[in-house]
Amino acid sequence: MENKNSKIDSRRKFLKNISSGGILAVAGLGLYSASSCKEKSEEKTTLLTTDGKLVQVSNSEIIKMEGMEHHPATPKEAREGIPGQKFVMVVDLAKCKNAKKCVESCDKHHNLTPDRPYIKVLEMKDNEKSAPYWMPKKCFHCDNPPCVKVCPVGATFKRTDGLVLIDNERCIGCRFCMAACPYSARVFNWGAPPNVDENLAYSPETSLPNKIGTVSKCDFCPDMLRKGKLPHCVPACPNGVIYFGNELDDTVTNGEETVRLSTLLKEKAGYRFMEELGTKPRVYYLPPVDRLFPFESDTKENVKS
Amino acid sequence: MRKIDIKQQKFETPREKDLLRHLISTSLKYKLWIGLLIAINLVGMYAYYRQVRFGLIVTAMRDYTSWGIYISNFVFFVAISLVGSLFSSILKLNNNVWAKPLIRVSEIIAVSAIICAAVIIIIDMGRPDRFFYVITHFRIQSPIIWDVIIISTYLVISFLLLFISILPDIAVCRDRLTEIPNWKKRFYRITAINWSNHPKQAERLNKVSKIMGIAVLPVAFAIHTVTSWLFATTWRPGWNSTNLGPYFVSGAFMAGAAAIIFAMYIIRKELKLHAYITEDHFDKMGRLLVLLSLIYLYFNINEYLGPAFKMVGIEGDQLSELFTGQYAIMYWFVQIGGLILPLILLMFKVMRKPFPIFLISLSVVLGAWFKRYLIVIPSLQHTYVPIQQVDESYLHYIPTWEEWAITISSFASLLLLITILIKLFPVIPIKSEEHDSETIVEPNIK
Amino acid sequence: MYAQDDMQDAKVSLSFSEDTDTKTITATVTDQNGLAAEEVELSFFVKRTFSLLKIGDGFNETDEDGVVEVAFPSDLPGDAEGNVTIIVKILDNDLYNDLSVETIKKWGVPTIINDDKDERSLWAAAANAPITLIISVTGMIFVIWFIILYIIFSFYKISKIKPLNL
Repeated sequence: MENKNSKIDSRRKFLKNISSGGILAVAGLGLYSASSCKEKSEEKTTLLTTDGKLVQVSNSEIIKMEGMEHHPATPKEAREGIPGQKFVMVVDLAKCKNAKKCVESCDKHHNLTPDRPYIKVLEMKDNEKSAPYWMPKKCFHCDNPPCVKVCPVGATFKRTDGLVLIDNERCIGCRFCMAACPYSARVFNWGAPPNVDENLAYSPETSLPNKIGTVSKCDFCPDMLRKGKLPHCVPACPNGVIYFGNELDDTVTNGEETVRLSTLLKEKAGYRFMEELGTKPRVYYLPPVDRLFPFESDTKENVKS
Repeated sequence: MRKIDIKQQKFETPREKDLLRHLISTSLKYKLWIGLLIAINLVGMYAYYRQVRFGLIVTAMRDYTSWGIYISNFVFFVAISLVGSLFSSILKLNNNVWAKPLIRVSEIIAVSAIICAAVIIIIDMGRPDRFFYVITHFRIQSPIIWDVIIISTYLVISFLLLFISILPDIAVCRDRLTEIPNWKKRFYRITAINWSNHPKQAERLNKVSKIMGIAVLPVAFAIHTVTSWLFATTWRPGWNSTNLGPYFVSGAFMAGAAAIIFAMYIIRKELKLHAYITEDHFDKMGRLLVLLSLIYLYFNINEYLGPAFKMVGIEGDQLSELFTGQYAIMYWFVQIGGLILPLILLMFKVMRKPFPIFLISLSVVLGAWFKRYLIVIPSLQHTYVPIQQVDESYLHYIPTWEEWAITISSFASLLLLITILIKLFPVIPIKSEEHDSETIVEPNIK
Repeated sequence: MYAQDDMQDAKVSLSFSEDTDTKTITATVTDQNGLAAEEVELSFFVKRTFSLLKIGDGFNETDEDGVVEVAFPSDLPGDAEGNVTIIVKILDNDLYNDLSVETIKKWGVPTIINDDKDERSLWAAAANAPITLIISVTGMIFVIWFIILYIIFSFYKISKIKPLNL
């Protein structure tokens, strides 16, 4: 008798555990679905709950646990560069058609309004007789940065991996760095930035959330670099204009083509913009020679391509 | 409450009466003047409230013209504050006895100007709530930090120089003035720090005055040179110049001298001090102004001739905008109306009479203010990379009402500080003149 | 449409040879029966930070013995010890399934990372300012503030002097 009772008890206990576990699991899933998820996809996944039930849950309600989801670096952590890397960018002016997809992608991931992009695609003409060309310009992350020299509180800093970042929890908004940068790479949050996500913890590596009264610029997307992915503008370009890589392993890639940096710069006569200023930029340009298409100055047409 | 009867106040000498009279009597004009200044400041405070609430977007500054009239105003105030050292140091050490009565006015202007400069720079910050970061997180490599250090140092020195000049007269106020409220009596007693004209005290004061007179000069030169380095350390046309330090300092002395003449005239008229600030003072100040203007003219020519000869790239663009373009009217008003014309006119004695020189120095001061505007803003609009595809508001800089309100209110604060200091202390030294036979003291009432 | 059943799994074995100025990778491809696979195109890569760098000539096809040789560039940077990850792949082959083989070899040029984090410069952090700047600025501040404090001290002494008896 006792055995039977204990068996019933243990089975009851087991069922109780299972069902409470199941309820917890479903409740947990329900709670996760209540948290904001930007993209509600219609895709569903079949899951097995702990009490043996098959349920169909839409993908937006499932938290991805691939590897370890890193939190973006805090302002203190962001001062350390990614070890063993020295990032460099090469922009092939011969291929740029002003598609502005890089600008779109950058604006989207940094929550920027279209009037103040980090990337500016400029129409340049070197002299009266040469042809005009498009030049995408972002921050050059100089090795002798004039902006870092003048910051009174050390809100902008140069890292060992070559990046120049901004800590907007320290910026006092004096705008000396904007006066010092000869390439006009920086933008300022004059008013309250739109669409600020208050819950997001500030990270200099994502430059989000934007803060009023502070300065901002292209950051080479260090949050992507830490995961071994390219900055957003690189794969976004439909013409493969932007190459990015690590100077220490002498390789740059534009998402499709991978080439050796030294070979690329030697063969295509890579240069830096206004080299004579001595700021030692980390962005090289390849001259707009042997272009396969004529220059079109009407930007609306170019966006379609 | 004891009743104050101004008529009961007794003075020992007519000199004392003339110089201390305004400390005890408050005219209606004075009250209206203070009222006007406070009203302007209230408008300025409302404008600043709007700026704090909505951000710097209420100004006309945008990503290219990222510095505006706040910064040019700041440079102007630092320039004016150099006048203290002109009198307390250069003229005094050169034994220019005629300038002695004016030392105190110059120090009052210097102290007030440097305080207003410090306030204006905080107003220009995007995050004034983080102002103390320049102390906790300072980077000694930054020219702004050098400027913070030197401005605070100069503020303390100017204040000490003012105090040195005033100290014996505070004692006179403490001893002589009876018909003043009790708080004022206590104020004079405390600030007089037991001054009793003891020979030992006089000896110490003389020694301190000499030391300060020498020490202030390098600091004064440094303050405006370091301010010029805020511009000279950047890659901008018009700023990237090795001439900027001397150019700023010489301009500062000239603008300061003109400001003193302007203040002298008004103080002389309002406080009826015709016997003490004489026509001869105006004459000598006029000649000093000519000398300072010649030095400034020399550096001006140096600043423009080299780049204008080459007319290279954006440097050339910026210069043609100054000479013949968008800023031509302002530029030529500043150069001709603010420098060349006053220089020529003041060479004639008739122009150095009080009223004409007052008008001329007003023109010089206005020219100086707009000169700083021309130093700051056009250079920012000519960048190495072309400005394309931006909003219309990025291409022109026309200051908004908030910026003007705050700027005018900074001037109102300057005048308010000066007025309060003049109301509290005699503006011309009472004591020291009595032992100086070379001073011009003849009653010269015109 | 065609049956995928005849896709075999090939095997790739790598051997490395080095003499004074050349480094060579020899790859041997065998099919699932151990026989040499001819005319199989191999892709040789070196693993880099964001992508794979292709080395070798345009087409690296195995000969009748199933062997192909590729020269390894002698100036390619590796990690701090000179290690590089070499990847050999069979991609989009008609007969064989896709295959990838990885090895690590010490054939790269060792990268000496000069972590100049603590180097003093004008653009370094506040703690790493140039020594001359720190000394001159601090020196000047000390001198002038010493004078100021002396002045203030003099005022204190003035206040302490008792008045002469009247």
